[in-house]
Amino acid sequence: MSADKQTTPALAVQGLAKAFAGVRAVDGLTFRVPAGSVTGLIGPNGCGKSTSIDCISGFQSPDAGQVVLGGQDIGGLPPHRIARLGLTRTFQNIRLYDELTVRENLLIAAQEYDGHGWLDAFLARRALRASEAAAGERARELIAEVGLARYDNLPAGILSYGQKKLVALAACLMSRPSVAILDEPLAGVNPTMIVNIERIIDALNRAGQTFLIVEHNMNFVMRRCHQVVVMESGRKLVEGEPALIRNDERVIDAYLGHAPQREPSHA
Amino acid sequence: MRQETLDLPLRERPRLRAAPWLLVAALLVALPFAGLGGYGLKIAIMAIVYAVLATSLNLIYGFTGLLSFAQIAFWGIGGYTAALLAVDAQWPPWLGVLAGGAVATLASLVIGYASLRLSRHSFAIVTLSLVLLMQLVAKDWVDLTRGPLGIPNLPTLEVALPGLGRFSSANPVVFYFIMLAFAAIALAGVHRLVRSRIGRTLLAIKQNEPLTQSQGVATLQYKLLAFAVSALVAGMTGGLFVFYLSVVDPSIFDFFYTQMILIMVIIGGAGSFWGVIAASVVFTVIPELLRVSPDLRLVLLGCVLVAAILALPQGIAGYFRERRLERIRRTLR
Repeated sequence: MSADKQTTPALAVQGLAKAFAGVRAVDGLTFRVPAGSVTGLIGPNGCGKSTSIDCISGFQSPDAGQVVLGGQDIGGLPPHRIARLGLTRTFQNIRLYDELTVRENLLIAAQEYDGHGWLDAFLARRALRASEAAAGERARELIAEVGLARYDNLPAGILSYGQKKLVALAACLMSRPSVAILDEPLAGVNPTMIVNIERIIDALNRAGQTFLIVEHNMNFVMRRCHQVVVMESGRKLVEGEPALIRNDERVIDAYLGHAPQREPSHA
Repeated sequence: MRQETLDLPLRERPRLRAAPWLLVAALLVALPFAGLGGYGLKIAIMAIVYAVLATSLNLIYGFTGLLSFAQIAFWGIGGYTAALLAVDAQWPPWLGVLAGGAVATLASLVIGYASLRLSRHSFAIVTLSLVLLMQLVAKDWVDLTRGPLGIPNLPTLEVALPGLGRFSSANPVVFYFIMLAFAAIALAGVHRLVRSRIGRTLLAIKQNEPLTQSQGVATLQYKLLAFAVSALVAGMTGGLFVFYLSVVDPSIFDFFYTQMILIMVIIGGAGSFWGVIAASVVFTVIPELLRVSPDLRLVLLGCVLVAAILALPQGIAGYFRERRLERIRRTLR
């Protein structure tokens, strides 16, 4: 496990805040994602997880706070700039280009990183064709890694829900991001696919990929995350290793409401 | 699970073979000499003009997903610019055509930058406002545009071919060939664009813009590029067309044109390069065929449109795409 390379965190969030019409969706959130780790972001529905990752990835502009990616402040930058700096994400409701092929879905996710402009693309210059071929090779490997090699050249729209999640995951990794944020990668998929996705995330992490994962599946969070951040009402409730979180009274309260008698075997 | 790769992409990519293309080119070149008569030639010219205009709308609406009512504004801006420069500033007409394209492109960048930062809906409304505004300018800014009577007696386009002599667009056959050559260049350019990875990105933006943003794509730039190219094509077409008519007046901004190219793009299949070109030809010819009954002409056209929408809700290209999807699903089962 490579989670203990804690010198510079891959991602550091400091005092992040975002309010909508007076509701403080995120209220001074601070946490770190160590390089090489799988960090879980959990909390009851409506606690501000989605708003937090929207702020981190540039889809919402934070009212206050800092988001530092590998030493660089990315707070308030537009999403495409943040992506180019090395932070990519998936979306809770799957987003894919349904009418493009699986391969094309991945190629688009890599194309803005190769430095070729419109003129190269329009003229189909040799250098561009070479880098598209290299991206195609990486796409093929990733598609094979998530077990969809057979569907490489099919429109993404005809895949099953779980398969689409795999394509979204693969696309998110095409540009070799320093941090990949996965928004509920396991939600709504069948148990076999959960095992599959979990295995893929684990393999990618062992290969060095840093993940920040929002997830409600506690078995997954407890098994796979090195570090867990628990949110409630826009704030961080606890941060620590899964074993610590599992038995924390405040976490149990937040999820189950006040428990007069503590039930230690939860989760 | 079987491991072979299935090769069934959704979009048709007809391989461009030489033989059928030479045949089509030969037919198009022979057409004016096939005894069409003046009326037939006029329809042929309009079919080419519509194919180019509809393709410019297809680029921004069909491929990029942005509904633009401004294509006719750009074509009118191109027409007025070319005409005014030729008459008032004595520019050679060809230079006026280029200037018409340039001014239309500039206009597209200004309104595109202002409206695309907001939303797709604001874009549609702003482009609609531009046509309405241009109609007013053409009618009421009399000092510049000569008002409702327009600018008559425009010069003709001259073509000098070494060894063959000089030709003037006063002859419709010559204008047919000028328009055909321009259409070939413009359509080849747009085709190249939409088949490049720029075109792939435009389709991606149409299907899911936030996802493209999360993948590092500066979507505003791509949308502006598509809009500017569509304006350039429409503006130059307008510039050429006014020299064929030899007059430009406010009717060039008529909503009739907008309606026709929208019909062509929707029934051809938004986002299908060839479907829209086919529909352009069909829907230039059909209204003319319906002239057999002048009273019922528009009623009949309405019936044709309703039938087309009922039979092909996704357009001509959409019909073929659905059949392809069916095949893919059957293969997967």
